[in-house]
Amino acid sequence: MTQPSSNTALGARSPLARWLDQRTGLLTALADAANRPVAGGVSWLKVWPAAIAFMFCVQAITGFFLWVYYSPSAQTAWESVYFIQHHVAGGWFIRAVHHYSAHCLVALALVYVLQTILLGRYRQPRELVFWVAIGIALCAAAGMLTGDLLPWDANGYSATKTRTGFLTAVPLVGQHLLKLAIGGPGPALGSHSLTRFFALHVGVVAPAILLLLLLHVVLSRRSEQAEIDTIWRPEPYWPKQAVRNAVVCAAALVVVLMLACSHGVSGPERGVRLLSPADADPASAYAAARPEWFLLGVYEFSHWFSGALIPIFIVPGLAVCYLLAMPWIARLQFGHLFNVGLTGLSVLGVIVLSWITLAKDARDEQHQQAIAAEQQKAQRTRVLAEALGIPTAGALELLRHDPKTQGPLLFAQCASCHSHATAEGAGIVAAQPTAPNLYGFASRQWIRRLLDREIAEGKKVFPVAGPDYFGGTAFADGKMVQAVKDLWREAELDEELDELRADLDRIAAALSAEADLPAQRKLDAQQSKLIAQGRTAIVDRGCTNCHKFHDRGALGNAPDLTGYGSRRWTVEIINNPADGRFYGKRNDRMPAYAETMRQNQVEMLADWLRGDWYEPEQ
Amino acid sequence: MSTIDRTGNDDRRSFLEKLVAVVLYALGLCVPAIGGLIAFLNPLRQRSAAGEFFKVTTLDALPADGSPMKFSIVADRVDAWNRTPNQPIGAVFVRRVADKVEAFQVICPHAGCTINFEKTQSGGRFFCPCHRASFDLSGRRLEDPSQSPRDMDSLDWEIRNGTEVWVKYETFIMGSSHKKAQA
Repeated sequence: MTQPSSNTALGARSPLARWLDQRTGLLTALADAANRPVAGGVSWLKVWPAAIAFMFCVQAITGFFLWVYYSPSAQTAWESVYFIQHHVAGGWFIRAVHHYSAHCLVALALVYVLQTILLGRYRQPRELVFWVAIGIALCAAAGMLTGDLLPWDANGYSATKTRTGFLTAVPLVGQHLLKLAIGGPGPALGSHSLTRFFALHVGVVAPAILLLLLLHVVLSRRSEQAEIDTIWRPEPYWPKQAVRNAVVCAAALVVVLMLACSHGVSGPERGVRLLSPADADPASAYAAARPEWFLLGVYEFSHWFSGALIPIFIVPGLAVCYLLAMPWIARLQFGHLFNVGLTGLSVLGVIVLSWITLAKDARDEQHQQAIAAEQQKAQRTRVLAEALGIPTAGALELLRHDPKTQGPLLFAQCASCHSHATAEGAGIVAAQPTAPNLYGFASRQWIRRLLDREIAEGKKVFPVAGPDYFGGTAFADGKMVQAVKDLWREAELDEELDELRADLDRIAAALSAEADLPAQRKLDAQQSKLIAQGRTAIVDRGCTNCHKFHDRGALGNAPDLTGYGSRRWTVEIINNPADGRFYGKRNDRMPAYAETMRQNQVEMLADWLRGDWYEPEQ
Repeated sequence: MSTIDRTGNDDRRSFLEKLVAVVLYALGLCVPAIGGLIAFLNPLRQRSAAGEFFKVTTLDALPADGSPMKFSIVADRVDAWNRTPNQPIGAVFVRRVADKVEAFQVICPHAGCTINFEKTQSGGRFFCPCHRASFDLSGRRLEDPSQSPRDMDSLDWEIRNGTEVWVKYETFIMGSSHKKAQA
């Protein structure tokens, strides 16, 4: 047995090294640590604390560089993470590595705790080492739960809102705990939730893990002293254990890098997806938020109970207490076997419960739709942010003023009567379709079909009298329906069906040109002749007998066709369909939305109906 | 003799020194800690806005079959140091029952997620996507036991000027089996 002598080692060193060592003792300490025999011998089973410490370093390094760019407030958090993700060189990479190394840290800590239980390495004199390991696992999880909110995206916001909401289930002080956690009266989270979570994340959780890691070194050395003294042939830490540790650290890093690059290393989808910015409006809440993987078991378990107190606080709290008590339970007869058995059963239970949640969600159509809708929203935010830039009030403003995003939400109020759906039923289908289907409203196809006659199951039918137009309204048998039927009957009698069809094409083109729809602007400009013919046909075919069209016809009998479907026309009819320019006293059930909607909402609704929103050039 | 005397004096003096040292360190650390704690506890002093009536819709805009519709509540949103006018601060479900209405808070009493409405063959149900609690059209819990500790929170409403539906927008303390307005 060769006893490494720090004196001889020092003797061989340069004068500078000797000077440094005499003043700090650093080199001697390093040499002692390297030459220290590994308790119980070198082993692949002893790599976990080193791997955990390594993964923590990865977290600390990437975390620092994220910190350089991050700005915690409701108007800047998402925006600064967006900038990191899409505009900082390598930003997506450090963000992805930070994200996946956090998952990895939790996984490593869990593996370490479970292995410690299985091998009985929690028994005396290692009780406190075991406690520290549990502390590291809990802090690693806390790091993820506090870090989750920081990007201030739809998922982090919803998940954190639910989690902090659980605090209210705590008797007596629940409401106060919630206020302290989110930094305000709630129920919405805000800037002060972010500052609190950020302070916890970098100022409490991260230093706590560092302290626990140091404590782990100190306590495990002390507890292993007895083992080292009784060992037959001690092997030093350096290099045999060190190389095993390094191999596992490198393997863990490779896994993290593979996950970080799983969506490629170029393009906007690389790294960790950033969802749309958090919206405190409960009507826009993300419906598919789920907890992190290690909490899925508790999540499913909570479905067995009313309220959160038992499944979220009491049972997990008891589980942690039991873990802490394990070293003393192991002193009883069969205590260790009992601990191992119960741990195994619990792990199995958690796996089964997690699997149930994943299976339910995979089958849940609404859940999948919510995820898909959120991905579209995120994509839309990116398009707008790139095109328009992010305003000082935050990226959410881009979505709040985007007809493409707001239109379907606002149309929900219209959708008790109106559908907005294709012939195949894709889109918004009214609860009880009793008013025209507004999909493609004022487009050539929409107007042309209103005037058309179709053959369905061998019978001639008029769409204008059908469910897509006036079939469900008070005008189902009105003058307009009659006028369309008359046009076709007369043309059939005069054998002028082809002429009628050609005229209707012209009328549709001319009337639709009034709308100035963005999708048709090019076509309208090219076909100015057809449109001019259509304007004449509108008068010739008798439309102006009831409708006003520019200087022909008069108001009072039917809606104004001047500027039909234009932005102004559409805004005005939504504001008040009973206005003299539209249906007047004959207005069916449509309410005047100027009374209940704000004007900018009506305008967005009109823009959405007209397909008038920003799209990037192809 | 003199040595013993001196030792006795030393013991007393050294005890006093230890006491002073410990007390001074403790007091010294208490000053920033208590100051910080008071600032940290500041949210406890903050109160939610009191309930207020908002005009959300008109009677004739509500489906006659009693299906609920969701309406945004638009008001000033106050968050930390910001006050932003005309923001959607919440939402309510309103459904028509003959000449009356029923109004509900969209926030789930369980953990604060947003409840959705699902149309079904038999009319429909309210459904919370977070923990799968569901409620009937009158906001009563459908499961037993339900994840939610109480039925959906109904809101006060008024019909003004014949057809205008006004709803008193309030938020309630979550997680409790008793409905109590948030303070």
